[in-house]
Amino acid sequence: MRRFLTAKGLLGAALVIAMVLVAIAAPLVIPADYGTRMTMTARLRPPSELHWLGTDQLGRDLFYRVMLGARTSLGIAGAAVLMSLILGLPIGMAAGFYRGGIDNALMRLVDTLLSFPVLLLALTISAMLGPSIPNAIIAIGVAFTPFLARIVRGEALRVTQMPYVEAARAAGATDLNLILRHVAPNVMPPIIVQATISLAFAVLAEASLSFLGLGTQPPQSSWGLMIQASRDYLDVAPWTGLVPGAAVAITVLGLNMSGDILRDVFDPRTR
Amino acid sequence: MSSTAGPLLARQDDTRRPLVAIDDLKVEFKTDGGTIVAVDGVSFSINPGETVCLVGESGSGKSVTSLSLMRLVEFGGGRISAGKLKFASRTGDSVDLAEASQDFMRELRGNQIGMIFQEPMTSLNPVFTIERQLVDGLKAHRGLKGNEARARALELLRGVRVPEPERRLKQYPHELSGGMRQRVVIAMAMACEPRLLIADEPTTALDVTIQAEILALIDRLKRENHMSVLFVTHDMAVVAQMADRVVVMYRGKIVEEGDVATIFENPQADYTRMLLAAVPKLGEMRGTIAPAPMRRIGDSVTAGLSVSSSRPEPRRLLEVKNLTTRYPVRGGILRRVVANVHAVEDMSFSINVGQTFSLVGESGCGKSSCGRSILRLVEPQSGEIWLNGREIRGLGQTDLREARRDMQTVFQDPFASLNPLRRLRDQVAEPLINFGLASKSEIADRVAELFDRVDLPRSFLNRYPHELSGGQRQRVAIARAIAPHPSLIIADEAVSALDVSVQAQVLNLLAELQADLGLSFLFISHDMAVVERISHYVGVMYLGRLVEFGPRPAVFDDARHPYTQALMAAVPVADPRRRRIHEAPSAKPLASPIFPLGHKPAPSIYNEVTRGHFVLRDN
Amino acid sequence: MSYIFNRLLSIALTLFLITVITFAVTTILPGDVATMIMGTQSNPEALAGLRKTLGLNDPLVLQYGRWIGGMLTGHWGQSLIFKVPIADLLIQKIKASSLIVVMSMGIALICAIPLGVWAAVHRDRWQDGASSSAALVGVSLPDFFWGIMLILLFARTLGWFPSSGFADPSVSLEQALAHAFLPSLALGLGLMAHLTRMTRSTMTGILGQEFIRVGRAKGLKERTIVWRYALANAIGPVITVAGLQVGYLFGSIIVIETLFNYTGMGWLTYQALLNRDIPLIQATVFVIATVVMLANLAVDLLYMYFDPRIRLA
Repeated sequence: MRRFLTAKGLLGAALVIAMVLVAIAAPLVIPADYGTRMTMTARLRPPSELHWLGTDQLGRDLFYRVMLGARTSLGIAGAAVLMSLILGLPIGMAAGFYRGGIDNALMRLVDTLLSFPVLLLALTISAMLGPSIPNAIIAIGVAFTPFLARIVRGEALRVTQMPYVEAARAAGATDLNLILRHVAPNVMPPIIVQATISLAFAVLAEASLSFLGLGTQPPQSSWGLMIQASRDYLDVAPWTGLVPGAAVAITVLGLNMSGDILRDVFDPRTR
Repeated sequence: MSSTAGPLLARQDDTRRPLVAIDDLKVEFKTDGGTIVAVDGVSFSINPGETVCLVGESGSGKSVTSLSLMRLVEFGGGRISAGKLKFASRTGDSVDLAEASQDFMRELRGNQIGMIFQEPMTSLNPVFTIERQLVDGLKAHRGLKGNEARARALELLRGVRVPEPERRLKQYPHELSGGMRQRVVIAMAMACEPRLLIADEPTTALDVTIQAEILALIDRLKRENHMSVLFVTHDMAVVAQMADRVVVMYRGKIVEEGDVATIFENPQADYTRMLLAAVPKLGEMRGTIAPAPMRRIGDSVTAGLSVSSSRPEPRRLLEVKNLTTRYPVRGGILRRVVANVHAVEDMSFSINVGQTFSLVGESGCGKSSCGRSILRLVEPQSGEIWLNGREIRGLGQTDLREARRDMQTVFQDPFASLNPLRRLRDQVAEPLINFGLASKSEIADRVAELFDRVDLPRSFLNRYPHELSGGQRQRVAIARAIAPHPSLIIADEAVSALDVSVQAQVLNLLAELQADLGLSFLFISHDMAVVERISHYVGVMYLGRLVEFGPRPAVFDDARHPYTQALMAAVPVADPRRRRIHEAPSAKPLASPIFPLGHKPAPSIYNEVTRGHFVLRDN
Repeated sequence: MSYIFNRLLSIALTLFLITVITFAVTTILPGDVATMIMGTQSNPEALAGLRKTLGLNDPLVLQYGRWIGGMLTGHWGQSLIFKVPIADLLIQKIKASSLIVVMSMGIALICAIPLGVWAAVHRDRWQDGASSSAALVGVSLPDFFWGIMLILLFARTLGWFPSSGFADPSVSLEQALAHAFLPSLALGLGLMAHLTRMTRSTMTGILGQEFIRVGRAKGLKERTIVWRYALANAIGPVITVAGLQVGYLFGSIIVIETLFNYTGMGWLTYQALLNRDIPLIQATVFVIATVVMLANLAVDLLYMYFDPRIRLA
């Protein structure tokens, strides 16, 4: 625990928590239609006292837009990673624990899927299903599953070969006992690290999807969409792109830092 | 020679002067938990041409002391906070290495002082050839290049008796065995004819026969080159074989110092006496029949040894017949089997109730596989395993689970054999729960009793493995093993990873449990001296077969098979009066237990040379 | 010999699976090809007729067989939106993308390896902190963000490089490089950050190994130990990771090429996806997956070159 309390760990955790709070608080703080109400007279205003982060090309306050975007982006990323865990954990655990034929077959499938770039898979699935928020979740979730399954398999393999699992087997444990009491709990810490890092990538993936128009659709707002919309106005109003970009960066940075620190915390060599 | 001079302390060339004089050395490490003093005021000297053994258990500071002499501690986060390291260099000056610059040290290292380490498997750069690694030291210190360097490299390899040296030069480290790699490392250290060789546990990771060769090699090099040796080890038997003088360390301080004869015959410090007591000497059980407990400090040499055994022959508990286990070697896209590792080949032996049968052999002989085959943690190909009149190999999964109640296991690695995330009481309770041996309310009491039985305080019940020491963790593993009241415990190198003093305690615990609970042990080990002390029966394994087995006195005092005899000859004896360092003919060809598919090995046939004493008929 | 045979068999199996997956992913569609060709307002009878002609009512396995058969015989079909043979499109675009993939990988490796080694050597001191922080920020920014920043800086403000378009290297190498530079840099920056971290952690691991200590005990210069002994061991793993990143790169080029209007494979794939040009989607996805698979294979073989333990096994 002490190892988490480094500058990096605290900062990372702080950034993540801040963003999550923003996402949760957004709908409560912002007046109902504010994000979508357009005031054409207030277009492309730079940051000021009235509009803390300026306004976009339709006169909407960027600070509120970014907050709403947090909900979408974080929500999609979180749901997608959850989905990849739900799909990937059983596959990886089965492959790593039972090995043999199951492992060979599953891993051949997973390795083949890994030949498809994650973003390509996500874009294709989203395009095929029709872009929307639920479909973006499915697309990113499915695209992340092979990588996670591989990591889970590696950890399950490592833990299953530990002497304490053999000792438990010799002490009369059934396969179910072994998985529940010994393998799963020891696989979880590295997987938590991986999930944190996956969250970071999921936020980036969602931003990319939305940027290309294959993710969140207007009038919903997400950070990727905001960056996309700002493209034409960057010369005159760079903050319209910088603000959502910074939001993405801060979130991803916080998640990456937390992931790094968690990896150190869970590292068995430093126990 | 050197462009950067070290601080001078004396000039005349005085051959009576010690080569190295360490004076009040203090070394510290900064950790998360604060500053640790690893070496606290250590002083001793090394004279020209003598071997000084620095001996102690883990945490004694012996390795740190040797690394400080080379000023390599700084690379590991250490700092020399006080003291002098006086070294008499070739130029005749006496230099304080503690004050020297790293540039000066760099010139000294591999040149006037050579150092070899413990792990031969990782001591060589995996991506460079042997030649390159031998030559770069020569290039740096002597400026040798090309053919000159190559010739010298060949000479060095011959000096350490590496067979086929020309071929070896072009090879990569992974193509050499552990023993050969250690020879190469020694050759590298000897490249520039150092005045001092520092050897930090150089044989700890090697098999006993290879160890004997390496020790003999170091001794010969010392004599031929009039070199001094600082030999760091935890093994008192090795000390007895190698040392001229002995320095005993404990927790960063020197506890006792003296010449080897005095230390062994007349130790003064309590710690030294405890160390000597705990180390079994090969051969001291000669003439006795039954096992004896490990000695504690203050026990006389013959304590616990009994000459006669008046108990009636006990009955059979475990009977193993023609056990064969092979591991498949897979290759190709479909992962088909291309060859087999014949780990256990046609083994037959039996264990009686309340007795200890030890399985000895070097690494790779199959002794661990034998233990795991009996437990069916790995499935044997063929053979019969009878436990308490029940055949184990033929059992289905459910019956097997039930049968496992009767045979439990203790593994070698005390840390890895406990789940790091579960409390100790839950882990000891697990067999009770699995086999339904106690109701919920009873479990807590039973576990507490088990902790008492293995001399662990009840406060440990709620702790996690990482909070305990290695010896304590092994006790937990033992408590877990005896929980379901088994008849047989398979102890696979159960004490090999423990310090010598802790090892003695754990072995005595096992002996007590045997006496109280009527337990039998299948004790798997590579340590002949320990095996001699604790076994009723012994089996010697080589390449998957039992080459010799029988009652302990017969096998140890009257070894008949050439392999057993070679093993006995190689084991260092913890008695300086019985030195037998002679260099065996170098590296016997490595036999491999891997055979192609369809290879039909001959069955194991034995000659009964004396009653109950069997020797494999080699053909 | 049998090793090579086994490898080829493995590749064939993977290729087969790639086609199956590609086909599977592109057949979960709500709308269909016929509607896209003729438009949603068309005569239902005409639509039904077109579906029959295109064989869309046949069982999936048959459709798959037809597709595979076509590819094996060189008939890759026609793009619905571009109305030209797909094979022609692919050849042009692959060349274009290869240029930026190679350039970005080159930029990344040349900068990342020295930086990573430097950070590892000065572990836990300011050099390490600075480069690791920079790298951390680098991997946290989306590629298209780098792209936008680069456009703003180099194209709009400074005007050094063009911000869009593609030029054929066989026509004008200078123009081709100029157009490829910013996209490559955008891709390369993120990659560089990741590779710096990888190099640093690999080097740190190697510097803690026993043979490094032995090298010091021989009296070798620290410089030799780091840049010869240690790096020789680190190159293999780092190149492997870099090679595996080719997969990631081919995902990112979709975004970057679109951003820069650089008409390569990524741009083509995006156009196909946006317009639901099924035949083109199938072709581009298949080609990209195959290229990534071959890149991974090449990495395996390259690793053998660097690590004698694998070479001689």
